[in-house]
Amino acid sequence: MSVDQVTAARCEACGTVSYPGHDLCPHCGGDRFQAEAIDGEGVVLTFTDAYALAVDFETRFLRLAIVELDSGLRVTGQLLDDAPEIGKRVRTTVDVVRRSGDAVHRGLQFVPI
Amino acid sequence: MRGVMIAGVGMVKFGRSDATLSDLMSAASLLALRDAALGDRAVDGVVVANMGAARINRQTAIASALVDRLQLFPATAETVENGPASGSSAVKVGFQAVASGMADVVLVTGVEKMRAANNLEATDFVASMSHPEAEYIYGVTLPSLAGMFARAHMERFGVTRRHLALVAIKNHQNAMGNPYAHIQQPITMEGILESPEAVVNNPPIAEPLHLFDCCPVSDGAASIVLVSEEVAKGLGGPLVAVAGIGQGTDTHAVHEREEPTRLKAVEIAAERAFGMAGLTPDQIDVAELHDAFTILEIAESEAAGFFGRGEGHLALERGDTAIGGKLPINPSGGLKARGHPVGATGVAQIVELAWQLRGEADGRQVDGARCGFAVNFGGFGNNVVATVLRREDR
Repeated sequence: MSVDQVTAARCEACGTVSYPGHDLCPHCGGDRFQAEAIDGEGVVLTFTDAYALAVDFETRFLRLAIVELDSGLRVTGQLLDDAPEIGKRVRTTVDVVRRSGDAVHRGLQFVPI
Repeated sequence: MRGVMIAGVGMVKFGRSDATLSDLMSAASLLALRDAALGDRAVDGVVVANMGAARINRQTAIASALVDRLQLFPATAETVENGPASGSSAVKVGFQAVASGMADVVLVTGVEKMRAANNLEATDFVASMSHPEAEYIYGVTLPSLAGMFARAHMERFGVTRRHLALVAIKNHQNAMGNPYAHIQQPITMEGILESPEAVVNNPPIAEPLHLFDCCPVSDGAASIVLVSEEVAKGLGGPLVAVAGIGQGTDTHAVHEREEPTRLKAVEIAAERAFGMAGLTPDQIDVAELHDAFTILEIAESEAAGFFGRGEGHLALERGDTAIGGKLPINPSGGLKARGHPVGATGVAQIVELAWQLRGEADGRQVDGARCGFAVNFGGFGNNVVATVLRREDR
């Protein structure tokens, strides 16, 4: 998956935005969706520095976070912040998050504002 | 629905094993079958719980292999995979077969041989449960999901690393009395948290969780024999009933949960299991909770209804959850010290509870225990099975 943006799914029936998308809307059960770019500011709900790394990662540790965007949507991604704190404001960017063999995965990262 | 009893239990010592996957599941099964002393009565069905044999051990259809090893033809055979909750799911499948009347005797065996993989491979194998696009690609692992959960829970409820260490110290101590435990090593607050050496002894895995907050990677197998009430009454030995089973599911991506600190699937599973058993949390004498990470023992003890929200760490601090306390949790040592061969864990919890209710848990017995409760936590809480056992009088 190589993308320039990460998209959430907006239900055409009720307008609920989900990420990741589902085949049926979690709110109304609708089955038609519009892709919508995830982009914006929000706050760090929680984060971790993972030292027991997954395959493909060769850094000393990986800083991961769950962020709640101002729209209310929550997302998981990599936190690029040397002084992380719960409640700190960040904004989303999209960049390479993982290289697995020849595959390059782009995804969400969070940077302080 | 017919009543279902546990007629026999058995397990092999958890840890690093040179035995094959088949050897492990066969050995545990034989112990359970001998414990049940079925005589001429045939085993109608076999259910095997396993998560990773296809990937780690290059072996599939292992329930059929077990029927062959034990010459149980023409018993039915299925393998059940539900991540780290595979064990309790398999118990549920066996329960349903007996309760419905389709079978009178079912052997349920959980097995995992994870040490065949190196640490990186084992971590990735478990991480493959996470959401592929919304979590896994970022380098999310199970410890990192637990780390994020722990930080949010600790911040909200005032839990400290000292509380987490208390869970580890208690469960390591309990495991000293359990000959089946993977880890038999007493630990101290000084050694893992307070001394200068603690930094080396107890390195970070996924902050705020450190090495001694995480279960080990284990090989192992555990087994039970489920029978109808009628069959049980014709056999000797104590009667332990499967009084209730409940299960609940939650979102795949953890960030989609209603609240980052809430284990909703545990709440639902526990409520359903208690409802089916006709019991309340205060009637439980002993619990085996899924402490793959220390924070989970605290959070599950609240979600299951034993303590109020945000009060689990206070009960721990008071000693309520120690053997001899109001509600001993994980007398076996839990996943933390008994070990966590993922497919075997849920069955091992039931084996431990059966021993406790039969008064046979030498070295770690909870005095007079009659009702037991287990939580088996799949994924990072997106599929949870709770089980209630009750000792019955003959």
